[in-house]
Amino acid sequence: MSILSQLNSPVLYLICGGIVLAVALMCVVFALRAYRIGRAIGMDVTKMRRTVVASATFAVLPSVGILLGVIALSGSLGTPWPWLRLSVIGALHYETQVAEAAAEAVGIHGLSASQMTAKAFSTIALLMSVCIMWGMVFSIFSCKRYTSRLSAGKSGSGEKKRSAFSGFGDTAMTAMFIGLVSAYIGSYVGTFVSGGGRFAFAGDWLPLAVAAVGALAMWVFLKIRDRFDAAWIDSFSIAGSMLIAMTAAIFLARLR
Amino acid sequence: MNEEKKQALYAQYLESTHRLGRLFSVLTLLMLLSAPFVIGAYLDALPDMGSFWRGFLSIGLVYLVSCVAEYLIYVPMLGAGGSYLAFITGNLINMKIPCAVTARDIVGAKSGTAENEIISTLSIATSSLVTIVVLALGVLLLIPLQPILQSPALQPAFDNVVPALFGAMACKYYRGNFKIAALPLCVMSLLFVFVPSLVGSTSFMILPSGAIAIGLAWLLHRRRAAEEGSAL
Repeated sequence: MSILSQLNSPVLYLICGGIVLAVALMCVVFALRAYRIGRAIGMDVTKMRRTVVASATFAVLPSVGILLGVIALSGSLGTPWPWLRLSVIGALHYETQVAEAAAEAVGIHGLSASQMTAKAFSTIALLMSVCIMWGMVFSIFSCKRYTSRLSAGKSGSGEKKRSAFSGFGDTAMTAMFIGLVSAYIGSYVGTFVSGGGRFAFAGDWLPLAVAAVGALAMWVFLKIRDRFDAAWIDSFSIAGSMLIAMTAAIFLARLR
Repeated sequence: MNEEKKQALYAQYLESTHRLGRLFSVLTLLMLLSAPFVIGAYLDALPDMGSFWRGFLSIGLVYLVSCVAEYLIYVPMLGAGGSYLAFITGNLINMKIPCAVTARDIVGAKSGTAENEIISTLSIATSSLVTIVVLALGVLLLIPLQPILQSPALQPAFDNVVPALFGAMACKYYRGNFKIAALPLCVMSLLFVFVPSLVGSTSFMILPSGAIAIGLAWLLHRRRAAEEGSAL
């Protein structure tokens, strides 16, 4: 029996599928609790439904991207393990890197089915699990304290502190997100300008061009929303912009 | 229901969210860490702990630092319920964070409020379930779907999911916040241009970029507050 047949055996599907199912149930429990408490404290049910619709539409395209990560890893690690990793804790951009690095650490040159052994697989699987588990570990030990401190910071201890910080929480969150987006857009600029040698303008320009198309598409969606007072468009504008930008990537890539 | 009762109910909800979040996180950790051993026992090849520790020392510590940064940045954005779920289900940067922030904006929830906590949890739970369903369907249909999804013509589209996402998000958030966005964008662009090797550490660069943006936002906030004060 080849190693890939072993890694794709029904028993592995059962083990990994069971964990995925358990995590799906956790999501359902959290969603139901949030919905119920929202109703109980008088939140607008329409808002909660819009959240569910917007999040579901938003998640489809990135999920297909994540599925590609499963396919990419399935050639060397079988299908069940990458399926589990990318459904639970894992992240598309980390998982492949960690798997590659873990493979090297156990003495395999890159991820390849021809060199994979059962022992190497179980060691890589353990490394993949341990390397990216820390967010969950920190949550267990400090999420309560951390969120309580954040709330205390928002309410402030004195009148002066309260007045200085009042209304800044939302701006700070927006600013943090702007910082996050800026770091990534900046990396696309750097990749293009200096990716092929400093100031050579010979690096990969596709991510920057795709980001620009995504931004343009979003600008059109926002204009339509404002012009026709169509607030519903917000639920689909990100997914729509991504779809347009990803389609553009197919055509732009031919120009490279 | 009066306001006091609502607040008590919400406090009770938060308390049980932490209990449940911790319980679910511990359970997920146990399942994830035991899976390689269970699979190893089934394959008659338990993990090689010597190789594991060597690997952990070479790559694990890097991810540990990255996870600390992510934890500090994302928890304030996601709230309690959202954070537990997001760290259990993963894919934060390319899905959960933008999804929760977008949902918050769509309904106009203010940070630190009960509404924000609930919207964030709903958003992350929904997006996680969608991913789980898409991946399960994809795995089920892997053989017929593989040639389509892996066709060379479609590769550029799937290689650029994150740029497509951040381009759209940049337009949405830069618009109306350009004074906050201009400096971090310029600084980050210049930094990556002058030190292109930093591209591999973009997730670490979120911290300085976010700090610049928050610093600017704070200055603008104070100036606006001072102007409003003098106008009164």
